[in-house]
Amino acid sequence: MQMCEEEILRLFPERIRGRWQDVARQAEKLQEIRLRAGSPLTILVDGRERFVDAQGKIVDRQEAAARQEGAELEEILKHLCQYSIYAFADEIRQGFLTVQGGHRVGLAGQVLLNGEDRIVNMKYIRYLNIRIAHQVKGAADPLIPLLYERGRVMSTLLISPPGGGKTTMLRDLIRQISNGTAYGRGINVSVVDERSEIAGSFLGVAQNDVGIRTDVLDGCPKVEGMMRLIRTMSPQALAVDELGGIEDLRALRMANGCGCKLLATIHGGSLEEVLYKNYMRYAMEERLFERYVVLDRGAGAWGIAGVFDREGKPCIRR
Amino acid sequence: MYKAIGIICILAGCFGWGNGKIKQERDRIRHLRTMCRILERIRAEIGYGKHTFPEICLMLTEINSECYQKCFRRICEESAKSGSALPLLWKAEFEAFLKKQPIQADEREVFAGLPDRLGFQEETGQAGSIGQAEAFLSQRTRQAEENCENRTKMIRSVSILAGLLLTIWLL
Repeated sequence: MQMCEEEILRLFPERIRGRWQDVARQAEKLQEIRLRAGSPLTILVDGRERFVDAQGKIVDRQEAAARQEGAELEEILKHLCQYSIYAFADEIRQGFLTVQGGHRVGLAGQVLLNGEDRIVNMKYIRYLNIRIAHQVKGAADPLIPLLYERGRVMSTLLISPPGGGKTTMLRDLIRQISNGTAYGRGINVSVVDERSEIAGSFLGVAQNDVGIRTDVLDGCPKVEGMMRLIRTMSPQALAVDELGGIEDLRALRMANGCGCKLLATIHGGSLEEVLYKNYMRYAMEERLFERYVVLDRGAGAWGIAGVFDREGKPCIRR
Repeated sequence: MYKAIGIICILAGCFGWGNGKIKQERDRIRHLRTMCRILERIRAEIGYGKHTFPEICLMLTEINSECYQKCFRRICEESAKSGSALPLLWKAEFEAFLKKQPIQADEREVFAGLPDRLGFQEETGQAGSIGQAEAFLSQRTRQAEENCENRTKMIRSVSILAGLLLTIWLL
């Protein structure tokens, strides 16, 4: 674990850092900080919801919690945007921003639509969900033996509900596959890091260890990024986070057709749940992925609930 | 003999004072030009590169002006060390630095108070806001440049005249 108190404290303006000292001490177990205007300061530590009181103490009773002021929330948002909101306009429009260290901040407030009902901006941002990114080196250790076949890595899809550790697992997979493991030598991995969550790039440099043979295309939409990387970086494996539709599948199909191995994640509680999505059924029929890994926080051993082969037959089921 | 030395000293003193004033005027123009150049760079980096304010400060550590370079280095170092808000560091650093320079109070306020102009949600508006500060300082630079020649002549004449008058009065 490489999270440190300092990194958590730096998410907040200097003036209010004192209140977050106790929370920062929980850095390694801290998953979320939820700030809602007029509501109690809430944190998620080790899967458990807790609150923060006016003195910065972590408490269990919500009545004892301090309430978030709207003006302070705006100050926090400005600080998170490095006082350069214009630079994060696209991210704000999409409802999230990624800050230094790869932490993702979800935003909610009032959206502004254009004539075609498309979101052009967001104002009165009154809800922030700071999701703390953790690089867990070794998280993919139990998976690695199952993802290699005769010394070559297999295309893998990681499945879990939100907050299930998909990105953490993907990051470590990328690192290990790029560096090389006991089961196969290192290969060139290209990453389309649409939300800067995998590599946590800052000023174009990956803040997380993603391996020595990894190229990162930061902030680029998945479909465009995948095409671009295949053409320019000749990757042996291509990694993307959070597949979300038929367009992504088309790009993956193209990458697969070019001989690239695929490493991807998708939201879902189980393999069956994922296969409800039409495009994922096609992906299985076409055998786009050779391994499906279902993650679950309660499943132990870094949350691996099951590993399935290209036909959906279990290799491991806990 | 002493009178002659006294006259020379008075004349030299007045001439020196005049030269000092002229140098101050030229320094002011130099500072105004540098500040305009910095603002122009900031505006361009925001408008075309959508760089964040800390990124721009980092770029400005390479600016071709030693004293400003040092200021930007101090701002970036302090920000990296303590994680303090960069706009506050900018204000504090430039308030202190520009106070020692021969520029006018409103020019100092515009430059040191630049972070007050941040907060726009899109780059065109933000660049435009920086552009206003740049336009103000550019206008001041033009005025100062236009007046510089005349002022130089005037200061030099006044200083020599003052020296002569002082000499006559003391004699």
